[in-house]
Amino acid sequence: MSALTQAQAAEFLYREALMLDRFDFDAWLDLYTPDCLFWMPAWRDDGTQTDDPDRELSLIYYRGRRNLEDRVQRIRSGFSVASTVMPRVAHMVGNVLATPDGQGQVRLDSSFIVNVQDVRTNRSHAYFGRYEHELRLEDGGWKISQKVIRLMNDVVPTMLDVYGI
Amino acid sequence: MMKRFALGDLVDDRPKDGVFRVNRALFRDAALFDLEMKHVFEGGWVFVGLSTQAENPHDYFTGFIGRVPIIVSRDGAGELRCFVNACPHKGVRLVQKLCGNARRHVCPYHSWTFDSAGANKNIKWAKSGCYGAGFDDDNHDLASVARFGEYRGFLFASLNPNVPSLEEHLGEARKLLDLVADKSPEGVELVPGRVCFTYAANWKMQLENCSDQYHFTSTHPSFIRILDQRGKEQAAEVVQSTLGAADFWQEGASGITGGTMSFDHGHVLNWGVMPVSSAQPDFERAEDLAERHGVAKRNWMFNMRNLTVFPNLQVAENASSQMRVIRPLAPNLTEMQTWCIAPRGESAQARAFRIRQYEDFFNPTGMATPDDTVCYEEAQYGMAEQERPWLQGHARGLAASVEGGNDYADMIDLKPARSVLADAQLCDESLFSSYYRAWAARMAEVLA
Repeated sequence: MSALTQAQAAEFLYREALMLDRFDFDAWLDLYTPDCLFWMPAWRDDGTQTDDPDRELSLIYYRGRRNLEDRVQRIRSGFSVASTVMPRVAHMVGNVLATPDGQGQVRLDSSFIVNVQDVRTNRSHAYFGRYEHELRLEDGGWKISQKVIRLMNDVVPTMLDVYGI
Repeated sequence: MMKRFALGDLVDDRPKDGVFRVNRALFRDAALFDLEMKHVFEGGWVFVGLSTQAENPHDYFTGFIGRVPIIVSRDGAGELRCFVNACPHKGVRLVQKLCGNARRHVCPYHSWTFDSAGANKNIKWAKSGCYGAGFDDDNHDLASVARFGEYRGFLFASLNPNVPSLEEHLGEARKLLDLVADKSPEGVELVPGRVCFTYAANWKMQLENCSDQYHFTSTHPSFIRILDQRGKEQAAEVVQSTLGAADFWQEGASGITGGTMSFDHGHVLNWGVMPVSSAQPDFERAEDLAERHGVAKRNWMFNMRNLTVFPNLQVAENASSQMRVIRPLAPNLTEMQTWCIAPRGESAQARAFRIRQYEDFFNPTGMATPDDTVCYEEAQYGMAEQERPWLQGHARGLAASVEGGNDYADMIDLKPARSVLADAQLCDESLFSSYYRAWAARMAEVLA
């Protein structure tokens, strides 16, 4: 298995989305390589996003799965009031396009909508934007070596955690 | 005029009796909110932005003073100006973009045109307009705000002309802005990338939380646990926190670990001792800063400092360096605009370190701020209680508050109106009274 069909690429993203919907965080973390990039840029102005994470601000910028493990630990800790009554989320992923880079990695472009029911306040909202995944074969399976989340509606109602994007 | 609210019913300020209390109505009442917008936000000095947001001729950025849209524009001669962002013709918002560069601003509705100094340059088909004499007598330029001023790159404006000078309004708080601005001989700038969020609670929750040391270990234990763990492991992938090197918030710390200061016109500071250490991105300039400004002022630059310039600017130097602008939208809805504020000319490494620390703690997508904003919203539920209207959240430290400063203030010639020196567990709340006294002063004409 050295290339992904469009159908396999879409299925990979659907599985990630399902893991997040179910808060199946261990399986979700396992999708990522230890040195993965997980990046949600901020907006520089009305129309352009920040694109140099060391000189510009991001909403989230992690190099290393360890950071995602910290996020999950905080969510599960029982010591975060923002994570006590968990919002319910449903991811929709579409418009998936797979582009092999010729060197064993595959780039996936897709669109997402995450519908969120904030149970604590009984408010519903949606986060939406585009994903840019890069997948790499590791130990015979595809892993996420890079995920960029381009959030379009960046005026965040109160809070946004990794399961909401 | 019928005065619907009496100050004594809203703020119970009796220093001689050791009482300071605030009525929950201040956080929920819609009529009071409208008065606040008019008299607190549209009736006095408010912060509008940094001069570096419009650095070059014809650069501009837009925003709001209370409910009124504004443009801050640098004109062709390099002078900064501040206008109401509304065409005099039909009131249409002239500029829709957040920021940009333009010599001319053309109204999208009927093409009235203005230059970057706000002067009307064209009224479409004016000669064939058969206007009456009254129209010709009118001024067709953009309306300048009544007062506009700059201190060390921090821009303030007032829609009300009858306010003290900006210098007098800021008073001793200027020295605290100096601590921010003097970190680099080139001054400060905003790191590109604005982060904006809302929360469903009153704006004063944010006002208070910035200067509330009491909440830190209660609201953020999930973050503190992660800091502890990271401190033990020293993993290369995770960012080091400034807070790990400090003990001002640690229950077991002994002696004076910080305190609070309050200033005239509602400005307050809470602060904690932080060592001059490599946990702070400014460490690369520690020696240079000591040479330029003396050791005492340098050490103050490394201290944890949460500064509020009443009513809408907060500069938080704790886990990183953040500039926040508070924009009330409704009694129970507030918008926060937040930036990473940084010394110009710092090394690429220091800048990246600052940004990582910032994202970790401050973002609404980070690991600390969401726990604050959720608490604000939970507080908003409780503001509905009317049987016991007085909150009990402004009382800690009342008996420790003294007039004037202390040895720590003297180190940088700072002369607060009141101050508290604290151990790690005192967590003064008496400084909040400064907010409500300034609030009452701005609301004076509508409160009985």
